[in-house]
Amino acid sequence: MLLTKRDMKDKIKSFIAETTFTDINSFSDDTMIFDEGIFDSMGLLGLINFLESEFNVVTDDTELQEENFGSVERIADFVGRKMALAS
Amino acid sequence: MKENFSRDIIKLKDIDKTINDICTKLKQDVHQELRRRGGVIGVSGGIDSSVTLALATKAFGAENLLGVMLPEKDSSPDSKEFAQKLTAKFGVKVIEENISGALDGFQCYQRRDEAVKRVIPEFNPLADKMKIVIPEELIRKNLPPVFHVTVIFADGTKRSERLPMNEYLQIVAASNFKQRSRMSMLYYHAEALHYAVIGTPNKHEVEQGFFVKFGDGGADVMPIGNLFKTQVYEIARYLGVPQEIIDRTPTTDTYSAEQTQEEFFYQMPFEDMDLLWYGWENGYSAAEVAPVMNLTEEAVVKIFKNFERKKKTTDYLRRPPIHDYLC
Repeated sequence: MLLTKRDMKDKIKSFIAETTFTDINSFSDDTMIFDEGIFDSMGLLGLINFLESEFNVVTDDTELQEENFGSVERIADFVGRKMALAS
Repeated sequence: MKENFSRDIIKLKDIDKTINDICTKLKQDVHQELRRRGGVIGVSGGIDSSVTLALATKAFGAENLLGVMLPEKDSSPDSKEFAQKLTAKFGVKVIEENISGALDGFQCYQRRDEAVKRVIPEFNPLADKMKIVIPEELIRKNLPPVFHVTVIFADGTKRSERLPMNEYLQIVAASNFKQRSRMSMLYYHAEALHYAVIGTPNKHEVEQGFFVKFGDGGADVMPIGNLFKTQVYEIARYLGVPQEIIDRTPTTDTYSAEQTQEEFFYQMPFEDMDLLWYGWENGYSAAEVAPVMNLTEEAVVKIFKNFERKKKTTDYLRRPPIHDYLC
């Protein structure tokens, strides 16, 4: 089954909400999750693991940038690009 | 009116008064608030514990202080030499309590090395050295730091790998036995002498959460807790802390390989961080700060955001136990 960008964002949002004990409705696709203090170093490490196990996306150190990880929207775009490159 | 932002803005205007204010309050807090008759200080030979000891000597007199050196297997041998020079200079009694045995009992090294080996299986703790770093290429990406473990093999070659979450957590948790064992030993001596434990964290350590909760963050008073690092150095020079201590690069002295505080945590030189933090904390705009710091406004905004994030995400460390459960 083809994964839509909405599906991806929902999975990422659920992961963030569950691992940080944050109400899923309290942040949007565009919320800057690190600036807002929702996620910290541990969150980022957990997210890297999650992207690998859930989407088979391996993150290089050079890709650890706000442009790729700053918000749910950006993470989903990053995952989409990586998956497209791999296919 | 707010002073114009400049590189001199945090320079101590009246160093005598600053020192006297700190010492007066320190004495009052320990005697009147805590009802303790002196202080115990863990001396590492670093700049922060040296300045704390120098201030405490002025506040209480050397005869009411005890310096405790708390080395363990991974400590730099220089630390002891510097700590002895310092306490000799200020006439403070110093004792050595080696905590390696306690750490062996906690399996500190074994737990840490197990985690390192899961990431770098060739690591031989008996011959190789290790440390945790934030790689330079990951600095200033406006994301929280992601740590790497670096092993320096006995033949001088190095290997560095990003730490997965579980291994990172295990290495940090195991290493934190060191600061917590030191805290326990300091409280032993403090209680035996009816003294207070005088903590040594500076303003950055307190506010950015660069301390171990109930480890080096466990103390009764922290007299340099709102001094910037450059101010700590100013006081060090003024009070005559030995020059070798002033000239040392601040390290964590936690892992077997030498690791600077900059590569482990702060990600920028102290001189810049002090000014940027002051600017952020006192509401200076990026436009006011950027030209003084030789940075773009965009870079300053990013650094300010990073400070805000660090303060928020380390709030847990500064919180006392929550105990108000009956509303």
